[in-house]
Amino acid sequence: MSPSTLSPTSTLSPIAFPDVALPESARRLRAEVRAFVDEERARGTVLGRPDSWLAGWDPGFSRRLAERGWVGMALPAEYGGAGRGFLERYVVIEELLAAGAPVSAHWVSDRQAGPSILQHGTEEQRRFFLPRIAAGQCFFSIGMSEKNSGSDLASVATRAERTADGWQLTGTKMWTGGAHVNDYAIVLARTEDAEDKHAGLSQFIVDLRAPGVRIEPIRLMSGEHRFNAVHLEGIDVPDGLLLGRRGGGWKQVTGELAFERSGPERYLSTFPLLVSLLRELEQHSTTAEQLTQTGVLTARLHSVRQLSLGVAAALDAGHSPDTQAALVKDLGTRLEGTLVDTVRSILPTPSDPHATPGSHPELLAFALLHSPGYTLRGGTNEILRGIITRGLERH
Amino acid sequence: MNTHTIDTGTPVISADNYDTAAFYAHADAITTVTNTTAPDAVALPSEDASTAELLAAAREAGRRAVPAPLAETALVARPLLRRVGLPVPAGPLSYAIAPELTIRYARPAASAVGSAGSSGVDDTLLVTGTLRRVPWARAATTVVVLATAPSGPVLFTLTPDQAHLTPGGNLAEEPRDDLRLATLEIPAPRVRRISPELLDEARLRAALARSALIAGAAERCVDLTVAHTTARTQFGRPLSGFQAVKQEEARLIEETALVRTAVQAAAPLDPGSPAAHVAVAAAKTQASASAAEIARIAHQLHGAIGITQLNPLHLATTRLWSWRDEDGDETYWARRLARPLTATTLWPTLTTTP
Repeated sequence: MSPSTLSPTSTLSPIAFPDVALPESARRLRAEVRAFVDEERARGTVLGRPDSWLAGWDPGFSRRLAERGWVGMALPAEYGGAGRGFLERYVVIEELLAAGAPVSAHWVSDRQAGPSILQHGTEEQRRFFLPRIAAGQCFFSIGMSEKNSGSDLASVATRAERTADGWQLTGTKMWTGGAHVNDYAIVLARTEDAEDKHAGLSQFIVDLRAPGVRIEPIRLMSGEHRFNAVHLEGIDVPDGLLLGRRGGGWKQVTGELAFERSGPERYLSTFPLLVSLLRELEQHSTTAEQLTQTGVLTARLHSVRQLSLGVAAALDAGHSPDTQAALVKDLGTRLEGTLVDTVRSILPTPSDPHATPGSHPELLAFALLHSPGYTLRGGTNEILRGIITRGLERH
Repeated sequence: MNTHTIDTGTPVISADNYDTAAFYAHADAITTVTNTTAPDAVALPSEDASTAELLAAAREAGRRAVPAPLAETALVARPLLRRVGLPVPAGPLSYAIAPELTIRYARPAASAVGSAGSSGVDDTLLVTGTLRRVPWARAATTVVVLATAPSGPVLFTLTPDQAHLTPGGNLAEEPRDDLRLATLEIPAPRVRRISPELLDEARLRAALARSALIAGAAERCVDLTVAHTTARTQFGRPLSGFQAVKQEEARLIEETALVRTAVQAAAPLDPGSPAAHVAVAAAKTQASASAAEIARIAHQLHGAIGITQLNPLHLATTRLWSWRDEDGDETYWARRLARPLTATTLWPTLTTTP
């Protein structure tokens, strides 16, 4: 019996989280990543900024990371990866996010495209894309959402029509992060009309520089250009770039949700702001109330991290902890927002987007302007809560 | 049909005729629970059980609102006695950590510098003062006390019959008794000089035990709430079919999972280690801080029945409201957790375990 063993009558049994033990190699790896981050900080590339997996775009950094074997590191060595475990990858990315390192260029190729191509791709696709991903030389975007297709993803209207030797894609993808700077997007399109709207969807690898791909910026309220509308104006996609099974798109997309929803990026997006706060507090004497609020926040970060690691351990063991992942995403992303509000309360500071970049008022402004997105991206939290209650009721 | 299975050997108390006073007045229930081998009771784990096993048992005790100091005995009193090499008595045990007492040595050393009783020819103590709100004191065979003698921290034991006992209770009417000691002599064989570190380790052990109990009571809130929202029909459909209910219920589940995982993370750690300090301080902060939200949602989703003795929900929520204060509330532990933190140590602290 261990603490994770729930009595068989417990309502929570279906969503048990396993005990987490990191492999011994993880300790060494963590030290190596910290040393690397220190070097990069010294050269001015790691700036301790919030939301660096969305906003920290630095292909040079991604390539240096790849040289260490830390991009696509869970991919097998025969495809250029490091053949490391999923938990080791977790250690690397949590270190980078906590430091506010610029990881957005390779983020999607590392988290989704690589594993997805490995699992569903043809041998030819694997040989072509995976070594480039692992070398930090091939960056991906996700082409899922559309104007009328957000939480209800199965309603996508982008169509792929059969041609003599491939497909012709027509439609517009929205909120496509990094499409203006990345190389490829994995696009979800309808290949067949079906009674069941989850059937007849397929995934394609689309070259974002191909003729007929028109990329239009969608500026965030901060003025930043991170997202785009990607217009696919009848582009030709060869058969060789259909990813996975024709009509299997829904299963492929939902199969990777646990990976997408439970990682450290779901609770660490604003962590660098807390580091900045502690730096500020070191200039003053700290009040008891400031200590209390800092401690409550730290306890919650600690606890959410343990849950997130629990999902990672379950994924590593080959399970599909979709309900647990939804739970981590709701708790974690709400915490990202709470952190911003609490930091503001602990040390009242007017946020200022024009203050010196990296100063506390500027980081506060940056985190605040990004904050409504935390509980939206990767599945709106209200929808996730439905997944959580369903996960318990089913049993 | 909610049957409140707590122990065996005494009648099972059903929610339909739940009587708090009768429940706790049943002294036999307490010893039975700690000694029973019946399949549906929470047995007191054996002395060689791992911390993880003990925590699992404590959580289960919290979930079933076991009317006995199971966690206090197994996770606090017994390990402390073992740590200092004192015999571990049979039966339910309790503890008092850092009470305000006046302690002198009973046989002052003639050569001592300072006032009489500041050191002794042996460690026999004379103790005066009150141990406040000792858990289950009336049922305990022995109370372990960690306090400060003139020589420094000491651990000693006493039996409740050596003290004047004033009964008290917490919100769940679990016994929290005051024990008044009037120049009580504690013979040297029952006294051990201990390090300040062990005194603090006792606080950590007690906080972790309490956190495990909270995790169990939180889990009971989930059990009862999911059962209720599934079974109860309004407007022609189960409550669980309403989006507004789903949203709240999910948060209840999440908060409970959060507490449980925080406790789980502390289980494999050596209670004396710096890693344990972080993990336990975080666990008790989280458990105490989450109690309010967990109890709030559980009650809100139960509706009126939940605030009565017709329904067992109060067994869990009254415990949550008391246990969050006991063995250090979230303010105490949050400050302890935050005090050593700096911009450079925050992340290394969070990644101490695993």
